[in-house]
Amino acid sequence: MGITQILFWFLTALVLGSALMVIFSKNPVHSVLWLIVTFFCISGHYILLNAQFLAIVNVIVYAGAIMVLFLFVVMLMNLNAETEPQKNKWLKFAGAIAGSCLLLVLVAALKDTDAMRQEVLMKTGDIGLIHNLGMVLFRDYLLPFEISSVLFLSAMVGTVVIGKKGD
Amino acid sequence: MNELQFKALLPYSLLATASIIVILLIAFRRNHFMIQVVGFLLMCGVIFALVQVRPLLPVAIPPLFQIDGFALLFTGLIIGSVAIVGLFSYIYFEAREENPKEYYILLFLSTLGSAILAISNHFVSFFLGLEILSVSLYGLIAYLRNRNHAVEAGMKYLVLAALTSAFLLFGMALVYMDTGTMSFPEIAQKLSAGGGSSVLFVMGMGFIVVAVGFKLALVPFHLWAADVYQGAPVPVTAFIATVSKIGVFAILLRFSLDVNLQNFPLAIDIFAIIAIASMIIGNLLALRQANLKRLLAYSSIAHLGYLLVAFLPGNMAGVEAAVFYLLAYSITLLSAFGIITMLSTRKKDADDVEIYRGLFWKKPLMALVLTIALLSLAGIPLTAGFIAKFYVLGAGIQSQLVLPVIVLVVTSVIGLYYYLRVISVMFAAPVPAEAWEKTVSPLFYNSTYIALVILALALVALGVFPGLVVEDIRTLLTVR
Amino acid sequence: MTINHYIFLSVALFCIGIVGVLTRRNAIVIFMSVELMLNAVNILLVAFSKMHYLAAKIINPATQAGIEGQLFVFFIMVVAAAEVSVGLAIIVMMYRNIHSVDVNFLNRLKH
Repeated sequence: MGITQILFWFLTALVLGSALMVIFSKNPVHSVLWLIVTFFCISGHYILLNAQFLAIVNVIVYAGAIMVLFLFVVMLMNLNAETEPQKNKWLKFAGAIAGSCLLLVLVAALKDTDAMRQEVLMKTGDIGLIHNLGMVLFRDYLLPFEISSVLFLSAMVGTVVIGKKGD
Repeated sequence: MNELQFKALLPYSLLATASIIVILLIAFRRNHFMIQVVGFLLMCGVIFALVQVRPLLPVAIPPLFQIDGFALLFTGLIIGSVAIVGLFSYIYFEAREENPKEYYILLFLSTLGSAILAISNHFVSFFLGLEILSVSLYGLIAYLRNRNHAVEAGMKYLVLAALTSAFLLFGMALVYMDTGTMSFPEIAQKLSAGGGSSVLFVMGMGFIVVAVGFKLALVPFHLWAADVYQGAPVPVTAFIATVSKIGVFAILLRFSLDVNLQNFPLAIDIFAIIAIASMIIGNLLALRQANLKRLLAYSSIAHLGYLLVAFLPGNMAGVEAAVFYLLAYSITLLSAFGIITMLSTRKKDADDVEIYRGLFWKKPLMALVLTIALLSLAGIPLTAGFIAKFYVLGAGIQSQLVLPVIVLVVTSVIGLYYYLRVISVMFAAPVPAEAWEKTVSPLFYNSTYIALVILALALVALGVFPGLVVEDIRTLLTVR
Repeated sequence: MTINHYIFLSVALFCIGIVGVLTRRNAIVIFMSVELMLNAVNILLVAFSKMHYLAAKIINPATQAGIEGQLFVFFIMVVAAAEVSVGLAIIVMMYRNIHSVDVNFLNRLKH
C-alpha cells in the first residue's frame, strides 16, 4: 500500500466520520463545525486527484463563505442550545432505514458493472490546473459563466426581498 | 461567438436585459404603474425579437445551446404566459399595498431560467437554467413574507428543490461516467455506439427523473404541489403552473428526443408508470377539494400525467400533441388563475369554492370565463382542452400504448365530476354576501378583464378551429 | 485507485445526506445535509473527470478530455453558494414569523 492509498483511506474515513457527526450532533453549532472538517477533507481528496483549483475554491467558497454564513445564522438565532426535543423516534428510525436501503440498492446495482474497474489518474494530470480550466472556461463556457452571474443577481434580489425587515 | 449566434440569442439577451431595466427603473422612480407598463412592453419586445429570429434558425451555439424551431415554440409559450401573469400581478399586488416592485425583477429572471431550459442541450446549461428558475421562485413564493402561508410554502419548496437538485446532479454524474460527455448529441452518439442499455445510464436517468418529476409535480413527487399552490401569491401560482412546467418539460422532451429514449424500454416503462400514477392520483385527490387553488394543483398533476402520455411515443406526432396540449393547458390555467386574482381581496385569496357560490348572478362574464376554463380542463368538446386531449389520445393509440390511453379516458371522466361541481356552485342561487371590494385601478382591472375574455375566446377558437395553430406548430417543429 | 472506490465513497456520503434530510427537523441542519449531498456529487464528478482523462490520454497525450467534469463542479459550487444565501434568508424569515426553525411546525396549510 503506497502513500497515496494510505492517504485515500485516511481521508475517506475522516470524510464519512465527520459527515456522520454532522447529522447526528444535537447542537447545530457542532454540526456546522463538523461540516467544515468534512469540506477540508474533501479538499484533500481533490488535491489527491490533482484538481488544485477546485481544492482551493472548495476551501474558499464552501468552508469559507458558505459555512460562515451558516454559522452566522445559527448564532443569530441563538440556536446553540440543544433545541430538538426527542419526539417521534419511529419517524427517525424510518428515515435512517430508508437512507440505508438506498445505499444498499445503489451499491448492489453499481457493484457489478464492468466500468467499475477503470483506473483514476491520481497525483498527476494537468487538466485540474487553473491555466487549463481557465482557458476552457473563458473560451467554450463563456456563456454559462455569464448566465451564472444572472443566477447571482436573482439570488441577491431574492435574499434582499425576503430578508429585509417588515414594513 | 459569431454574429449569427449573437443575433439568434437576441430574445434571450433582451429578456436578461429586461430585469436590469426594471432594477434601474426602481432606482429612479418606484412607480408600480410605470414598471408594469415597461415590463409588458419588454415582453412584447421579446416576442417581436423571437419573430425576427425565426428565419435565421436553426442556429447552434456549441457546446451549450441549440436554438431551433422547437426552442422558439417553447420560448414563445413561456414569454406569452409571463406577459399575462405580469398583467395579473398588478391588481393583485396593488390591492395588498405591499411593495411589489422587486417582484417583477424576480419574475423576469425566473422566466429567463425557464427560457434557457428551452434552448439548452447540455447538462451545464440544463442545471444553470433550472437553478435560476428555482432560486428566483424561492423569492417569488415567499414574496408576501408576512403571511405564514408564504413562509411555509417557500420553506417546503426550498428544501425539496434543493434536495431534488442534488438528485439531478447525481444522475447527471452517472450519465457522465457512462458516456464521458455532457452534451446531449454527444451522449446520443456514445450511446448508439455502445449499443444496449447500460446500468449506469438507466440509473442516471432514474435520478434525473426524480428532479424532473418534482418540478413537473408528477406522482410520487407531487407532495409539495398543493401546499405551494395554496401558499404562494396567486400570480406566482399561475407562474409555477405554467412557465416553470413548460420550461422543464421542454428540456425533458429535448433530452429524450436527442438520446432516443425509446431504445431504453426500462426508462420508458418508468415514465409510463409515473404517467398512470399521476393521472389516477391527481384526479382522485382533486375529488374532495373545497379549495380552488388546491383543486387546480391536483388537476395540474393529472394534466401533466396526460401530457406524459404524449411524451411516451417519442415521435413527431407525440411532440406535436404535447406542444398543442401545453398551449391549451397554459391558456386554460391562466384564465382560471386570472379569475382567482380578480376575486381575491386584500385579506384573502379567493380560493374557497364557497366564494364562487352564485357568481354567475353577480358577475356573469367572469363566471362564463371560469366556466369555459373549467370545461376546457375537463376536456369538453368545443374547447381547446378537448382537442388537445384528442391529439394526445391519437398519439398514444398510434403507438399502441393501451394501458396509458385507457387510464387517460377513465380518469378524464372522473375529472369531469369535480370541475362540474365548481361550475354548479357558480350557477347556484347566490348567498347574500358582503359587497365586493372596490377595485384599486380601473385601468388594469379592465385590461385584465379584456385579457381574460380574449383568453376564453382563444380557448373556444382553438377548440373549434385547431387548424389555426397546428400547421404552424408542425412547420416550426421541422426546423431542427 | 479504481473508480469504484470513489463511487462508493460518494454514494455513502450522498446517503448520509439523505438520512440527515429525513431524520433531522432543524431546517438549518437539513440544509447542511443537502450541502453534503452536493459535495458527494462533486467528488464523483472530479473522479470521473480524471478517469475519462486517463482513458483518453493513452490515445492522445495532449488531450483535454474530462475537463468539463471539473468545470461542472465549479458551476455547482457557484449555484450552491447562491442557493444557500436565499435558503438562509428564508430560514431567517421563518424564524421571525414562527420563532422556530423546526420544520414540523410547518403544517398550517391544510386541505
